[in-house]
Amino acid sequence: MLLLSKFKISGHSMEPQIKNGNTVLVSGIIYLFKSPKKGDVIAFKNLDGKILIKRITKKENGKYFMGGDNRKDSLDSNKFGMISKDKILGKVIYTLPAGRQEF
Amino acid sequence: MKLIFSFLLRNLLTQNIAYAHCDIPCGIYDPHGAQLAAHTIIRMTELLTEVKKESELKAEHDISRLTHVKESQSNLLEEELTTLENDYFKAEHYKEYPKLGENFSNANKLGAKVRQNIDIDAAEELLEEVMQIAEIFYKTKGVEFVRVKSVYPTQRELVIQK
Repeated sequence: MLLLSKFKISGHSMEPQIKNGNTVLVSGIIYLFKSPKKGDVIAFKNLDGKILIKRITKKENGKYFMGGDNRKDSLDSNKFGMISKDKILGKVIYTLPAGRQEF
Repeated sequence: MKLIFSFLLRNLLTQNIAYAHCDIPCGIYDPHGAQLAAHTIIRMTELLTEVKKESELKAEHDISRLTHVKESQSNLLEEELTTLENDYFKAEHYKEYPKLGENFSNANKLGAKVRQNIDIDAAEELLEEVMQIAEIFYKTKGVEFVRVKSVYPTQRELVIQK
């Protein structure tokens, strides 16, 4: 779980909300007090240790099914399996508006 | 509150990459599509400068169509480059080929320039950046490549696998 971290997004699966190249702020603090819920956009580690950003589309037996918003162009839990809470790094709490990604 | 978040995003935190992938990881990448789009942009730019002005209506019609194709091919080129930049090339490639990041950055800027103007020099520079990206792509694949004169009306070069 992350206290606070920022990530640059690579990929299109969360468009239109989060675009390729956007920067997001992720925090796990909120999940110390309540469980992740359906609809949350979260950062998590998949099996090969890569950090992914997806939306929780359902919760079953304490595990989370993840999906992209851009259904035409997204990997989902059908491909990489459901994830457990310990793989969740945090919730996306802020996205830097498009067009202001340069630092 | 937004200002605090922006400040944190810009200044305080180390940035990592998070993947919103995306495409089924099929491993099929090719710089050919980007080169084709760059050639088409050159061709549309040339044709725009050659539009005959005999009939005003016909000229307006031709300019609209040519500009539309130039615009849509610029979109396609941007998409092809984004896929290569973010999905194919990895951190180690950017380290091994330090010019690669600059090639993408230049290509993005030139992509905007060729949309905004009828600028054959910019279109040619864009193709050159795209060809350099293609050459690095083939180097990372460990295959031989060569620049050949294309068979397109643009008469410009193309990087292909040998």
